[in-house]
Amino acid sequence: MRRACVAAIARKDVRMAMRNNLVLLALVSGVLFSLVYYALPSATDETYHLSVYDEGASALFSSLPPQLSRGAAFSFVSSEEALHEAVYAGDAIAGIVIPATFDEVVAAGGVPSLSLVVADELSTGQAEALSFLVATLAGYDVYGTLPVPLATEVIGADEAGFVPMREQSVPFYLLMALMMEMWTIATLVVEESAAGTMRALLVTPARPSDVLTAKTLVGGVYAVGVVFVILLLTRSVRGDLVALFLGIVLGALLAVSLGLLLGSLTENITGSYMYVSIPLIVLLLPGLLLFIPDISHDAVRAIPTYYLVDAFGQVLNRGAGIADVWRSYLAIACLDVVFFVGGIAAIRRRYR
Amino acid sequence: MTVDNPYKVRNTYVTGYSGSAHVMMIEATGLTYRYGDFVAVDDISFSVAEGEILGFLGPNGAGKSTTVKMLTGQLVPARGVATVLGTDVSRHPKAVHERIGVCFEEKNLYPRMTVRENLQFFADLFDRSVDVDELIRKVDLEKWASERAEALSKGMQQRVMVARALVNDPDVLFLDEPTSGLDPVSAEQIREIIRAEKTRGKTVFLTTHNMAEADALSDRVAFINEGRIVALDTPENLKLRLGRRLLRVRTRAGDDFAEEVLPLDDDATPDRMGALLRAGGIATVHTLEATLEEVFIQLTGRKL
Repeated sequence: MRRACVAAIARKDVRMAMRNNLVLLALVSGVLFSLVYYALPSATDETYHLSVYDEGASALFSSLPPQLSRGAAFSFVSSEEALHEAVYAGDAIAGIVIPATFDEVVAAGGVPSLSLVVADELSTGQAEALSFLVATLAGYDVYGTLPVPLATEVIGADEAGFVPMREQSVPFYLLMALMMEMWTIATLVVEESAAGTMRALLVTPARPSDVLTAKTLVGGVYAVGVVFVILLLTRSVRGDLVALFLGIVLGALLAVSLGLLLGSLTENITGSYMYVSIPLIVLLLPGLLLFIPDISHDAVRAIPTYYLVDAFGQVLNRGAGIADVWRSYLAIACLDVVFFVGGIAAIRRRYR
Repeated sequence: MTVDNPYKVRNTYVTGYSGSAHVMMIEATGLTYRYGDFVAVDDISFSVAEGEILGFLGPNGAGKSTTVKMLTGQLVPARGVATVLGTDVSRHPKAVHERIGVCFEEKNLYPRMTVRENLQFFADLFDRSVDVDELIRKVDLEKWASERAEALSKGMQQRVMVARALVNDPDVLFLDEPTSGLDPVSAEQIREIIRAEKTRGKTVFLTTHNMAEADALSDRVAFINEGRIVALDTPENLKLRLGRRLLRVRTRAGDDFAEEVLPLDDDATPDRMGALLRAGGIATVHTLEATLEEVFIQLTGRKL
């Protein structure tokens, strides 16, 4: 490797990048992602809002122990119609209709019945869970005993923690920024081939490895820069900073090495859109699935960026450190090497 | 009609160039290259002396570009050795690249970089480089130095391409169709630059299918056809030995013109010329030496 050649090519790449609209778009994207971040809710309200129509003013809710009502908020309405409206309008996820004879039936030693009205947005599982909650409440009132105490233990990071949506979305923005950088690098490589300048470069003292090293440096620094812009604008520099920085560097190298490899597969600008855009969509999937937690992640583990997004999420939102994410980092580092070597091999094969 | 090639000796050619020191700057020995089963260049050998301009001529697909790519280290020969400046190009391409300049046929400048930026970038890649502003003056592009390459005319872009090949003050220049598609004025400007480099003692390997240009610039020309060199000599020798040695005389009698073609090598021609001179009325006399293109057609049976 000739340092003078690498430096000259890197300076040229910076100059070219600053005159490339796609590169500028990638830079602006950091700001755009930050705006989206601030548009999302800053806190998570995991309280169940329930509407109650208690025609007979029963004693059901007056003597509930705190552990039975924790996590739920009850609002009383004056009619069954008002209860339906509250559920329909989304003010409550469900409504409990308590019959006027509830206390009388209990006093007579009978078992009263309740009605539960649920919103259509609730999944079957959530509706069933609510049914059990209401039945437990009523059971306490009827039988005067609490269910058998149940201790809950979470193994691993508590995914059900109270991480606001906007914080959960940060790893996705980082992934988006890195993948846009992958596209940028691929475009720069394809442009170099399509314009024939790569051939001109390779009859100078510059070697293919000098060209790719320069692009890796420029692309890597640029990707890290965009990611830090996002982290600073969203005030997300937190957690184990060593783990965070290492993840960003490995992610930037993943983006650049993938960009080099994909850019080396074609000399045609139009063709490159297909070569790059299809992998781009696949690589973004792990980030998109952050917003759809019910979908199984098993298949997603085959996508390299899964390990990146997962590690970012663990470090930023779950307090994880190197000891928790080293397996993911090792997987990313191995992929970095594989893609970089593949990119060099592809360019050498094309120009020798 | 194809004639026997009187110059061929197992497809190997001596230089025949009367350069001062006969230092060989380019030597090709048995160069062969295949694309799959297709033999693009078939066992060719030649050499180019210091300060010489060699015109490398042939039709599209004859093997010109493949030969240049082997000589400049862009392709590794399937067989044979390419030596430039005494160095095996395949083994030490970067040592050779430091001292050669290559001008490609296709425009391959950085379009969003200015003329000066394009040249300075390439100058920065070499250990030895010339002053870029001086180079810009040399190719008469001072007014356009700060313009992006994409804003230049085709002729100006070509001048930048030639200038780029000169940024390291190369000892050997490889020029691939340097005037292709240019207007006459731009083409002549490029030729002037090539002549100036020759005057400075530089060696030029000029690939072209423009016979007139090769004739005007080259010390020697090599014809390549179907991957093999079919002739290599000075343009004059090729034209004399393979051309027609005829004299065309046009005479005028009042408003009428008459034309006679006389073989130069015929014993009766001097007497006939004498008779025409004595009779008066000779309007024009031309020798009908062959053009390089006609020589090529004779040797290969095909046009460029």
